[in-house]
Amino acid sequence: MTSIANETQSAKKERAPITVKAVLTNKWFLYAVSLTFFFGLWDYVAYKKILGSSLARPLEVVNYMGYMINHRLAGNSLWGHAWASTRRILIGFSIASLIAVPLGLMMALNKYVNAIVKPIFDLMKPMPPIAWISISILWFGIGEPSKVFIIIIGTFVPCLLNAYNGVRLVEPELYDVVRVLGGNRRDEIFQVCFPAAFPAIFAGLQISLSVAWTCVLAAELVSARSGLGYVIIKGMNLGRPAMVLGGMVAIALAALMTSQLVGLLEKVLCPWKREIEGL
Amino acid sequence: MVGNNPAVKNKIEVKDLTKRFGDLLVLDKINFSVAEGEFLSIVGPTGCGKTTFLNLLSTLMPSSEGNIYIDGDVADPTKHNLAFVFQEPTCLPWRTVRENVAFGMEVKNVPEAVKEERLDEIMDMVGLMDCANLYPNQVSASMVQRIAVARAFSVNPDLLLMDEPYGQLDVKLRYYLEDELVALQNKLKSTVIFVTHNIEEAVYVADRILVLSNKPTNVRAEVVVDLPRPRNPMDPKFVEIREHVTELIRWW
Repeated sequence: MTSIANETQSAKKERAPITVKAVLTNKWFLYAVSLTFFFGLWDYVAYKKILGSSLARPLEVVNYMGYMINHRLAGNSLWGHAWASTRRILIGFSIASLIAVPLGLMMALNKYVNAIVKPIFDLMKPMPPIAWISISILWFGIGEPSKVFIIIIGTFVPCLLNAYNGVRLVEPELYDVVRVLGGNRRDEIFQVCFPAAFPAIFAGLQISLSVAWTCVLAAELVSARSGLGYVIIKGMNLGRPAMVLGGMVAIALAALMTSQLVGLLEKVLCPWKREIEGL
Repeated sequence: MVGNNPAVKNKIEVKDLTKRFGDLLVLDKINFSVAEGEFLSIVGPTGCGKTTFLNLLSTLMPSSEGNIYIDGDVADPTKHNLAFVFQEPTCLPWRTVRENVAFGMEVKNVPEAVKEERLDEIMDMVGLMDCANLYPNQVSASMVQRIAVARAFSVNPDLLLMDEPYGQLDVKLRYYLEDELVALQNKLKSTVIFVTHNIEEAVYVADRILVLSNKPTNVRAEVVVDLPRPRNPMDPKFVEIREHVTELIRWW
């Protein structure tokens, strides 16, 4: 096809010659500089004991994490604790999103549902989820249910809000397309409304996940015999900075993994958001 | 006049079409008809209620009085095949180019086999075959508008409404796509109402031009463009018609 209005896409990436300037301004080089500086500074501060003995050196943290993988703490290795936290998150997050997303969509589509749910929701919305910890322990005890409950409370809000706004912000012209073609309400909802709301829903899920990690950590810090929050609080009580930092690193890694998982799900379900590389 | 020629069947009949927003009279008893397979352009001064007019014709908005009739019946999107190419690109971002073109036929419940056949034909005609499996955010603005045009033609519309579809494209591309549009219309014999601000564009594509007045809007004049195609915008007769229409818009 050679007509004037057709696209031409170059599949080749331009290759720049390697010069000193190109290396110095290379993205990956700068990443390496940044990380080396960070870990170098950390190690220096810890080695010189500038913060007293309460900061472990990076290598000590890694070693201690290795130690925790091989030695059980309160019956669980580091994997066990990581899984305990992740499991709570997956359960709470799944329950919340399965209820909140459909509810948010229905609120946006039906003004009566909206009128009934919105006042309660607005009342609960500004309350930080962590404020529920004490009452949930009174209600559900110190076992799993109280932690899952906190996560549900925390993740419900962003899930619902984003699903709701996702529908609200659909371009009205897209509905016109369906209407002129003689489509019914069903077509409008399933062909336009839902797919258009997908990216917003996924953004809500990502926010929910980070909220979920905050919640599970808070709940575990208050009362738990397992989980990464427990590792951290135990490390503090035992006066072992490497253990505290090791727990923190493990949380970051676990949170990153769950977020990548949702990102992957989004890629599968919304392939149209992908970009052509190099375009 | 083609539209009033008794020998040619009138496909579209607009009778006393009136629209008021409160006390503001926007459209004042507009009457005209369009023959089957005719390419009608509508031009008018800025702010003459063009959008309102199109929204009424497409039945997206109810009229205050009067109606639009297709084959003698009041236009109804669930009964008639209407299609609309909007000024803004209106592709569904989650469908590939091919799926976007198919969308109109899907809503109309066109049988699968017919749909695929028509898809192949129309995609080929507008040159979308090469990017059939790309998503709209991966193709250029002109391609996106072609998707909308292909989607509109593919439902074999009784009436195809176009609202300055090429308003945001550059001149060269515009001529190219106008040629393409005229060729499509010629081949598929669709009845088209093409609204534009660009008088040259109107003269270039249309069989007949309807000139609207200022608000409250009415049909001020009809100009038949009986030039052979492909038309040459430098042709003295072309220029004469263009200037005539310009005068009609300028003087009230």
